[in-house]
Amino acid sequence: MMSGVLYKREMKASIRLLVIFGAVLTLYVSIIISMYDPELSALLDSYVELMPELMAAVGMTAGATTLIGFMCSYLYGFILLIFPMLFCILRGNALVAKYVEDHSMVSLVAAPVKRRTIALTQMLVLLTGTVILVGYSTILELVCGAWYFPGELDTAQLLTLNGGLLCLHLLIGGICFAASCLAPDTKYSVGFGAGVPILMYVIQMLANMGGKVENAKYFTFFTLFDPEGLVARESGALAGAALLGLGGLALYGLGAAAFCRKDLHI
Amino acid sequence: MSVICVDHLTRDYGGGKGVFDLVFSVEKGEAFGFLGPNGAGKTTTIRHLMGFLKAQQGQCRIDGLDCWRDSDKIQARLGYVPGEISFFGDMTGAEYLRFMEGYRKLGAGNRKKELLDWFELDPSGKIKKMSKGMKQKLGLVAAMMHDPEILIFDEPTSGLDPLMQSRFVELVAAEKQKGKTILLSSHMFEEVERTCDRIGIIRAGRLAAVDSVEALRQRHIRRYTVTLDSVQQAEAFAKDFDGQQEGCRVTVATRQSLEEIFMNYYGGRGE
Repeated sequence: MMSGVLYKREMKASIRLLVIFGAVLTLYVSIIISMYDPELSALLDSYVELMPELMAAVGMTAGATTLIGFMCSYLYGFILLIFPMLFCILRGNALVAKYVEDHSMVSLVAAPVKRRTIALTQMLVLLTGTVILVGYSTILELVCGAWYFPGELDTAQLLTLNGGLLCLHLLIGGICFAASCLAPDTKYSVGFGAGVPILMYVIQMLANMGGKVENAKYFTFFTLFDPEGLVARESGALAGAALLGLGGLALYGLGAAAFCRKDLHI
Repeated sequence: MSVICVDHLTRDYGGGKGVFDLVFSVEKGEAFGFLGPNGAGKTTTIRHLMGFLKAQQGQCRIDGLDCWRDSDKIQARLGYVPGEISFFGDMTGAEYLRFMEGYRKLGAGNRKKELLDWFELDPSGKIKKMSKGMKQKLGLVAAMMHDPEILIFDEPTSGLDPLMQSRFVELVAAEKQKGKTILLSSHMFEEVERTCDRIGIIRAGRLAAVDSVEALRQRHIRRYTVTLDSVQQAEAFAKDFDGQQEGCRVTVATRQSLEEIFMNYYGGRGE
């Protein structure tokens, strides 16, 4: 079903990006969590007062009274969305479209290995990277929470929240992988794989600013990811996350199926 | 039984490009030359044989298996060297060969070392920094280390120096000796003439002729016998024009260019 040798090679290629993004996440997550403090949080809230539109655009709103509420506001609007998304965009394109474009794919298909096996292996590489980034963030949040504010962070709530985050990144990874498999060349692979998630995020930023543009939220899948709702276990938020996850799996499947039927001009 | 069988293969790219109703087959143990100018459809045909492209009409079979559906089974006994080789540029040659060994699930008893010695190739450098000739050698080692019964070469010597070209010709001869089935595409008559038993000529996506090398040679080499005044003159003439001398008589031969051969097959159609 999958090629262990290929998986190993691709994971080796993923490691550098994972380390870099892991380091950036470590920095941001630990600093933001350490800033949770009624007084310092007043400082962040004062930023929100100063430039409400800008802070709202990246999902930061004032007045969080719990640590997890504070994290929802300051981590789940930007940092934890953008970095795993960048990983999906970069690796998604490199796993299939780039190999077809530079003809390295010849080595993979001119061997007694089914196309399905190649597609599933590359898919698994992207999924593994996504799970590692979300899993690492979860551990980091738990450790930082326990370090700075013992007993403040509810593990079950955090796991629900990050389960939703994983579903969101499944969808983003699915978009990147499907684009990589379907596109006739890397121009379109990058165009769709990077363009669609970034455009959706920009629409989300607009919608967050409120007012007339708030209706823009109906045009972006980021709306389905509702951190506060997930923490409160609202059924709407849980359904949204499930929808994201299922959509992601469907897109991964679509990409793999397309690759199996694709004409390779290599 | 034919090992490679192209049966009414058609792929129309529009604008007269593609291959049209192509029929030919390669027998077991035969070396078949696939000759045609650039853009005639050689690579397109080979991509169908490799299972990279799905036939629009007709089909390709290797060992009785469908080239699109059963490509993974076919690939186990097939070695392929593309014209424009490219590898994972981030690897060294040695890493690439080790990767391919693992990917193809080859045991320790494969021909990697023997082939590296044959081509006098040191694969320790980064592939990105290798010359075209070195990459070509690396491609040949990777394509042949599992000792395939069927070999498909797509313009294998383009860009190689003459020394390397004759190394390649020796290799093809040795593999043929072992009973391997070989398909070799080229746009140079000389190259296929030196290595193949039979030649198929393709032009504008259609097969113009299939003939034995001997028959083609007879048709396309013209000989002239010239009688000179003295043996000395004949000797000098033979030396200058690469002829066969017999007393005062010298026989010289001219070989038609590929274009002239094509003109012969398309004779007077104004192409």
